[in-house]
Amino acid sequence: MKAVETFTTDFESTLDLPDDNLNLLRRESFEEFKKHGLPTRKEEYWKYSDPSIISNLELEFVSSGQYEDENYDVILVNGKIVKRFKDCQMGDISEGLRSGNLGEDLFKKKDKPFLNLNNAFAINGCYLILESTSRQTIRILNLITNEGKSQAVHPRCVIIAKRNSESVIFEEFRIMGNGTSFVNSVTDVIIEDGANLEHIIMDDFAENTYHVANVCVKQYKDSNFVSHNFTMGKKFARRDFNVELNQSGANCNLFGLYFVDEENHIDHHTTIDHKEAHCNSKEHYKGILSGKSTGVFNGRIHVHPGAQKTDAIQNNQNLLLSDDAIIHTKPELEIYADDVKCTHGATIGPLDEKGLFYLRSRGLNRKEAQQILMRAYVNEIIENVSDEKIRSELMELILDRLPKEG
Amino acid sequence: MLKIENLHVSIGGNQILKGINLEVKAGETHAIMGPNGSGKSTLAQVLAGHEEYEITDGKIEYLSKDLLGMDIEERACEGIFLAFQYPVELPGVNNTYFLKSALNAQRKYRGEKEMDAMEFIDLIGDKIKLLNLKDSLLKRPVNEGFSGGEKKRNEIFQMAVLEPKLALLDETDSGLDIDALRVVANGINSMRKEDNAIIIVTHYQRLLNYIVPDFVHVLVDGKIINSGDKNLALELEEKGYDRIVEEAKA
Repeated sequence: MKAVETFTTDFESTLDLPDDNLNLLRRESFEEFKKHGLPTRKEEYWKYSDPSIISNLELEFVSSGQYEDENYDVILVNGKIVKRFKDCQMGDISEGLRSGNLGEDLFKKKDKPFLNLNNAFAINGCYLILESTSRQTIRILNLITNEGKSQAVHPRCVIIAKRNSESVIFEEFRIMGNGTSFVNSVTDVIIEDGANLEHIIMDDFAENTYHVANVCVKQYKDSNFVSHNFTMGKKFARRDFNVELNQSGANCNLFGLYFVDEENHIDHHTTIDHKEAHCNSKEHYKGILSGKSTGVFNGRIHVHPGAQKTDAIQNNQNLLLSDDAIIHTKPELEIYADDVKCTHGATIGPLDEKGLFYLRSRGLNRKEAQQILMRAYVNEIIENVSDEKIRSELMELILDRLPKEG
Repeated sequence: MLKIENLHVSIGGNQILKGINLEVKAGETHAIMGPNGSGKSTLAQVLAGHEEYEITDGKIEYLSKDLLGMDIEERACEGIFLAFQYPVELPGVNNTYFLKSALNAQRKYRGEKEMDAMEFIDLIGDKIKLLNLKDSLLKRPVNEGFSGGEKKRNEIFQMAVLEPKLALLDETDSGLDIDALRVVANGINSMRKEDNAIIIVTHYQRLLNYIVPDFVHVLVDGKIINSGDKNLALELEEKGYDRIVEEAKA
């Protein structure tokens, strides 16, 4: 367990800051993390993704760096803010706690080891408070810089959409350099009454990246959340996407697209908690796998007692471009209310041979024909992004990153 | 243009074509008729290069080249066009984008300059009118949600844009009402030229009233048992396949 040892040394080395409230919370989270250590495959939710791949890494904690880019409103380098957006209230985590803009609840110990680990390292991070009722688009870059090192970063971002606000947040994760990186990111999203938030999260990492991400969304009365989750997984990617529909009239629409190739691994665990009556959720995740890659999709819908008139739809589709690629897809429905509508479906298959023959019979070669079919496949997800400029940027990038057949 | 010699084809161990001989010259229109399961569609698919079929014997020469050695797309680029009996739906693939990509792939193969969007729109204008195609069909995904007639019309529209040397029309008349049949037949007739050829695969004589063939062949159980001119089609319609088969045996 090299990783846990280095986490401990690194954690202790970051404690020589003033022993304020944040440090107390951090200590608690780290104690909790150490009590359980990293998860193992014996745990149900890690059955198909082996976290020991991380525990054997020797990692150095990094939390600083510099970068400039005009295309982004907010830039974090290795988890620390280097560029601020002037048109909304924002700051780092310790400032947020001191000023009372952030509640302590977010940083109290949790039942997920990687969340506790992120909390333990929540020194910098960033929070944004969205208040504008006229639609505001904010682009955030979460950049990891790594020149040949083996490092751990724990980026944290808290987004609070205030009552009746309207916003689009594009949160992008990128890597510069060719080192080995363990990125343990957490994004908290709080959507207050009547607020509308469209959130795009995308990662485009380098070869040796191990990414564990937790996205935790809490929705309140009559709020709307549209999420676009693009994961171009590298070595190891695990993303837990959790949405709590806490009050009636809250709706969420979750779109996801993931790619994985070679011997890489990608895992999505999504959970939608229907806690109150009259909430709707729609989820559509699509994947493309090639080479000897493996993928996991575990979609949980939990309808709590009293959450009547719940309408939940879940759909997961997977395209396998090789005989050796493997996908584990599993819907998980837990329903404790009797007047609800829940549907789910999963498909796994190769590219449509009839479609390929049709395209080729018109003069397009096999590669071009595949490109056309795959473009259509991914577009079904990408077309839901409302901002035209972001949508075409995403399309261009994604077409470039599509896994190749075989 | 096309010379098929002793063609034997099987799929999954089943022998479908059992020695086809057929020669098609530029400027000719041939009709291949036959009962269900006789191998008509197989012949069309094999000519287009469908990879599921196994050629067990024989050869096919097309424009003095070995057709069986060519890939599907190479055949298309060399001027072979198959109008599908069941056109394939391509969800999410825009019909105009699809056709422009196909045309440009063929132009590139021939060493011609690729067309931009404006040139392409100019080119298809007349062809849309020719086939009385609704503009909205061009903006929709290929064949998705099209009626049977719209799908067939879309096939012939593609043919009009791609201008093949050898067109294979596989049951193009099925699913068409009388008015649509006339529109499609007019479209096809307007494309008949000295330097191209058409093979029509059909059950019924109906389409041949509109597109008059130079030759009619009767395909039964994987073999051409009779060949003649347009009158053979009328005779078939009158007597039925059974009588023709018996007469051929006698």
